[in-house]
Formats: sequence, structure tokens, C-alpha cells
Amino acid sequence: MDMSLWWDSFLAILTPEVLMFNAAGVLIGIVIGALPGLSATMAIAILTPITFWFDPSCGFAMLIGVWNSAIFAGGITAILINTPGTPASIASTFDGYQMYRQGRGGLALGINVIYSAIGGIISTLFLIFLAFPIASFTVSFGPTEYFMLALFGLMMMISVSENNVVKGMAVGFAGLTLSTVGIDPILAVKRYTMDSTSLAAGISFLPVMIGMFGLGEVLNQMYEYKQSTAGSALEMLKKASAKLGRILPTWKEFKQFFRPTVLAGAESTIIGAIPAAGADIASIICWGQAKKLSKNPDEYGKGSAEGFAVSCTSNNGVLGGALTTMLTLGIPGDAVTAILIGSLMMYGMQPGPKMFTEDTGFVMQIMQLMILSNIAIVVFGLLSAKMSAKILNARPQTVWVGVTALCVVGSYALNNSFSDVLLMAAAGVVGFIFKRGGFAPGPFILGLLLGGMLESNLRRALVMSQGSLDIFFERPVTLVLMILIALTLCFPLIKKAVLKRRKAA
Amino acid sequence: MKLNFFKACKAAAVGLSLAACVGAVTNAEAAPNFPRKQIQIVVPYAPGGASDVVARIYGKELEGVLGKPVIIVNRTGASGAIGLESVKNARPDGYTMSYMPVESTMLKALGIAEVSSDDFDFVCRIMTIPAAITVSADAPWNTLDEFLTYAKENPGKVLVGNSGSGSIWHVAAASLAKAAGVEFTHVPFDGAAPAIAGLLGKNITAVAVSPAEVKANVDAGQFKVLAVIGDAHSSVVPDVKTTRELGYDVTAMGWGGFAVPKGTPEEVVQILSDASAKVAQSENLKSLLKERGFEYAPLTGTEMDAFAKDQLDQYSQLIPELLGKK
Repeated sequence: MDMSLWWDSFLAILTPEVLMFNAAGVLIGIVIGALPGLSATMAIAILTPITFWFDPSCGFAMLIGVWNSAIFAGGITAILINTPGTPASIASTFDGYQMYRQGRGGLALGINVIYSAIGGIISTLFLIFLAFPIASFTVSFGPTEYFMLALFGLMMMISVSENNVVKGMAVGFAGLTLSTVGIDPILAVKRYTMDSTSLAAGISFLPVMIGMFGLGEVLNQMYEYKQSTAGSALEMLKKASAKLGRILPTWKEFKQFFRPTVLAGAESTIIGAIPAAGADIASIICWGQAKKLSKNPDEYGKGSAEGFAVSCTSNNGVLGGALTTMLTLGIPGDAVTAILIGSLMMYGMQPGPKMFTEDTGFVMQIMQLMILSNIAIVVFGLLSAKMSAKILNARPQTVWVGVTALCVVGSYALNNSFSDVLLMAAAGVVGFIFKRGGFAPGPFILGLLLGGMLESNLRRALVMSQGSLDIFFERPVTLVLMILIALTLCFPLIKKAVLKRRKAA
Repeated sequence: MKLNFFKACKAAAVGLSLAACVGAVTNAEAAPNFPRKQIQIVVPYAPGGASDVVARIYGKELEGVLGKPVIIVNRTGASGAIGLESVKNARPDGYTMSYMPVESTMLKALGIAEVSSDDFDFVCRIMTIPAAITVSADAPWNTLDEFLTYAKENPGKVLVGNSGSGSIWHVAAASLAKAAGVEFTHVPFDGAAPAIAGLLGKNITAVAVSPAEVKANVDAGQFKVLAVIGDAHSSVVPDVKTTRELGYDVTAMGWGGFAVPKGTPEEVVQILSDASAKVAQSENLKSLLKERGFEYAPLTGTEMDAFAKDQLDQYSQLIPELLGKK
């Protein structure tokens, strides 16, 4: 692309108004993203009509700011109260909350800021230089590839099973089973709905996630608090929250994270560019892959700073990918880009292949706004990191009440539905029982999240092939994914065998 | 002291009854004096979608006409049944309205929920959305006839994507297949966008979705629209003929309107209908529909009641036939 065009569009966004709208968007995004239940999609849907009053570059400066920072801020609650603020930060709970409990909360918050921004910037660079090749690859994804991706995501059940894989698998399959409640994706018949319309909508994933991680953790802390009248648990928590530790990673850590995070940024851009795969599955897959490739895989899920950096990078890395599909193909990669397409149309632009030639200047502005938003995230994020953690310095009772209130409000706000609040409460109790029984909630959530994608794409593929399984072996990308899955499963066995032989030799 | 207390009680009682009287008076006047507070419009689909955007603009304009705040609430799930059912069960006082999609006449026949357009009084229809039978630009067929001839010669080989099982586009494609005597394999996706991605990636042969949703790819020369299923030509692809013009008797189209639960006082329905008629004239609404590629097709509340009844009858018969539902 022409350098002078870049420079012109860069000057166009370097106006006080655009910068102000961008900063406002980032701040709004931090607040909304950090509240469980309020998602980036919701924030953007509500703000979009307002932005029509502004100039397109101001409006988009705000929306892109909100989008980037809401995804980043979802990680803040994942660290502090074990409840991901948006589904994109689900993988951040694996390590983030553990780091906080170990007294490294400050570092976790810092990594969340820095690596979210790095993820966003890496993926924007991919968007700038490789948009068309990436899009032409990912658009060929059909039901068989989506099925393999979902299966790939489900492999991570093993990684998040904590210490007991059998127990992890048991709850994982329970989650998969629950995901079948609702309307059949192919035949549109009701399944296990007990004639209730609420159940016909299925067991929604977000209330369950909020209940299981948030409320479940509160119940567990209350239980442990009573047990230890000496207050050792309380002491520990207090110590953890009072002593946040340093925020910035050291140079050594930075070098250690470099390879896995750059890889995660690339992987998540590509997953984000796949039209029907989003940030949740991207961060899960990236986290799992990083664990496989890491020098210290045992730390993953127990407070590994490296694992946490990977999940932060990947959930923001998705955004550049989603923009790639939106700008080059005109199809939304997720709910947010669907809204952005709508607002581009309101500004009289038609996203799609022609936009790159007809509105080149604005396309460049969008890319530069992505970079700008990520810089704003670093500034505001680091400034507010210590402050956001201070909120939790209150007495545990206060925190419990606060978190419970957030869980109730968040699950209601999702769909303005009381049945979601009940579902959240039930999930909270189940989460508590899981915790006491030594069952990790991670696999359950993964099963519920990916069950729908797994099932509907398997059956869609079979509809297309009229029942023949050959379709899974005829498509090269599907085959490659299948081989990768097989390798992932066999890798530990091979590793063991090789080690043994080396020892023997 | 005792006396004083007694006096105070008495004064309070008088005050209370007075207040009650005032309350009663305003209550009696409530119906013609509508609206006195904020109105809520329930959209049974997700924020940012087509119906949500239309409802938000309609709400904003309605606010201007009625002079009271109008808020939009999204209640999603079960193909719209969750939102519709919540309005059906709301107090029928006109303060809770629903966005009414074509699905409101289909859910019952699909067996998804008991709620139907019969449980509502319409205040208006705003728009219609035809279905566009779309194929890749490099596909060998240039007319609907060529496409259907191929489908006849290769039963089941033509994969037609739609935005969900039992969605209006699914019904539209199935109606076309029936009218033409061919057999399609219908591939339901989770929404129109993945279906379009499926056609772009050459995983399916054709899609039946709204013209607006394929416009970007048509403009870019990746897709071509063979026909639209609907009452009239689409403003998005004005040169493409309707199936009826091409000799196939099918019209299955999407539409969107607004309604209140049955049992709402007639005066209130009237006030909302009149206000909606004004909203329908607004330039903002018209330009939004044009931008989004929907057909501006206003109907009054009474006209819409009759139209919806007709649609309900039609789909109650058609859906079991087409999709093999009981």
C-alpha cells in the first residue's frame, strides 16, 4: 500500500477529537469488560447508535477503543475474582487467579495489560500485511474443519483437569451432555426442554460460567473460612491482596515469554479470521498449545506467568483476525464485527473486497486505530492496575457480598432473564460441590462451550455428505487438523518413550 | 399528648384517603392519557442484528412522537420464542411492546413454542425482506431455470445453505423446491453469516438469505443472485426477477413489525398505531431501511392483524408439509 496514503490517514486520526473519543472508548471498555456479564458486544451495540452523531473516524475511534479494551479488561476480573468478565478471558482464569492467590496479583495485572496490547498489535500487523492471504485460507473452512477445531479445543480438557484426569473427563462429558439441551441445530426439534421455553433456549454458557467460577469460588471461600476459625485462609487471602508485588515483568521473563506469545498472537489471528470461531476457543487452543511446547508445562494452570501471558495475548489477538474477515470478505467473524459492519453501512461504506480499493483511507484508519487503542490500553491499564486490585483489599465478607451481587447482576443483564439468574445460582452450587469433590470446573465449562459447535458441525457435515463419513478424509485442512489432534494425544506417550530410551542408553 | 397523637392519626388518614382519591381519578383517566411513563420494546434477537437496529430507530422515533422514553430490551433464545413469550405474559397495558418477526407465525408450526402472532395485537408493520437465491459468480447457471434444471437432474446434490433449521429462509428454499418439483439438500447454519461464508468457501452450492446479506459479495463480483422470493423486486438487486415472475408460485418472505399483547385496551392500541404510522413516515427510518437493504413496506395495525393471521394459517399448513413436522 502507498506510504503517503498511510501518512495522510495517520494525520487524520491524530486530531484531538479522534484521540479523545478513542480514550473515552478505552475507558468505557475497561469498566464494561471488567463487569462479568456485560460483554464487549453489548457495549458496542448500545454505543453504536450514539456514534452516528459523530464523524466516522471519531465514531470508529470510540467503538474500536471499547472493543479492544473490553476484551483486555475481562482478564482483570478473571485475575481478581476468578470470574472472566467476558467469555474471551476464560483461559485467563486458569493461571491468573492462581497468580493472585500466590501473591503475584500485581504481575498478573501487569501481564494482562502488556500482553493484551501486544496480542492486539501483533494481530493488527498481520491484518496490515497479510489480510488477503489469511482470509482466502480461512474462508475455505467448512463444517468438517469447524468440527475438528472444536475437537481440538476439547483436547484441552485434559490440560485443565488439574490433578485428576478421570474426574476432569467425567465433568467434561457432563458439560457436553448439558450442551445438547435446547433446540436441535439441524432438525429444530426440542430436546430435554421439559416443555419450558427457557430450556428451549438451551443452557446458556455465560450464566453457568459466571456461577461456577464466581459464586462457586465465594461459596468455597466461605466454607473454608468457617473451617479455619484461626483464620489462616483469611490471613492468606489478606496477605495476597495486600502484597500485590511488582507489576511489570522482568527482562528475563519478557524474553521467556517472547516465543510463546508471538506464536499465540499468530495462531489467534488465524483462528479469529475463521468466520465462525471466536476469542474463547482461540485462547483455549493457544493456551493448550503453549503448554505442550513449554519448558515448564507442569506450571500451566497452577499460576504460570507464561501461560497467563499466552492467554492474554491470544484473546486480544483474535480481534485483528476478526477484522480481517470483516474487511476483506464482508462477513462478520463474531457478534462485534456484525455490528461494526452495520455501522460502516450507516456511514455509506460497504465492507467487503471493494472497501480496500474504494475506501482505502478509512481501512487504513481502522488499522491505525487498532494500534492506537492498544497503546491507550497500556497507558490506562498500567495506571489503573494497582487501583483495581485495591478494591479487593476489603474484608473477605465484603468481597463475598460484592462478588455475589456482581454475579446476580451480570447473569441477569445478559438477557434480562431471571431464569439465567437461577441457572447461575445452580451453577454456583454445582461449582462448590465440584471444588469440594476435587473436580476441576474447567473441563465442564469447555464441554458446555464447545458442545454446540462440535455437534452442529458434525451433523452439518453429515447432512452435506448425505451421511457418509468420507467427507472428513477428503478435505486436506480437515486431515491436517485430524493429524494434529492425534499427535497432541500421542505426544506425552512419545515423550515418555523417548525419555526412557535416553535413560536406558 | 394523647390527643395530639389522635389528631395526627386523623390527619394522616385524611391525607391518605385524599391521596387515594387523586390516585383513583388519574387511574380512571389512564387509558386516554397514554403514555404516562416509559415504554419498553422487547426485541427477541441479539443486539446489533437487523431486527435490533430497526427496533432501535423505531423506538427513537416513537419517543419523539409520544414524548416519553422508549427503551429497547433484548431477550434472545429459542428462535425468538423467549422474547415473544415474555411480552405475551406481560401486563397488557401498552407499556410493553414486542418487535414481531415473521417467525412469530412459524414457531407454533415448528413445535418450538406455543406462542404465536395470535397472542398479540399489531400496531404496525415496517418492512419486508425477500429471500435471494444466490450462487457463486463462477457457477455454470445464469438463470433460475438453469439452476433448477440442474437440481432436477441431480436430486439431493444441490446444497442450499440457510440461516437455521426452520428459519424463514429455510422455508423459502423448501417452498421453491416444492414448486419446482426438485430436491435440495438444505444445510442449516447458525445464522446467515456462516452460511454466506460457506458459499464463499465453496462448501455449499447456493444460499437462500436476504439480499442485503449478500450485497457486498455480489458487488465484488463473487456471487450472483438468480431470483428473489418475495412480493416485489428487491431494492438491493433491482434487476433480479421474483420467482413469481419467473413462473414459480412461491412467496415466503421475512417481515418485521411491532405489537402489544392481546388484551391491551383498544384506545391504547389505537394511540400506538397512530404513533407508529407517524414513525413509519420518518426519513430516518426510511433511510435506515434503505442502507440496510430492507424493503420499506408499512401496514397499519389492523391491516397487519389480518396479514399475520393469513401468514399464520399459511405456515401452519406449509411447515409440516415442507419440513416433515407433525
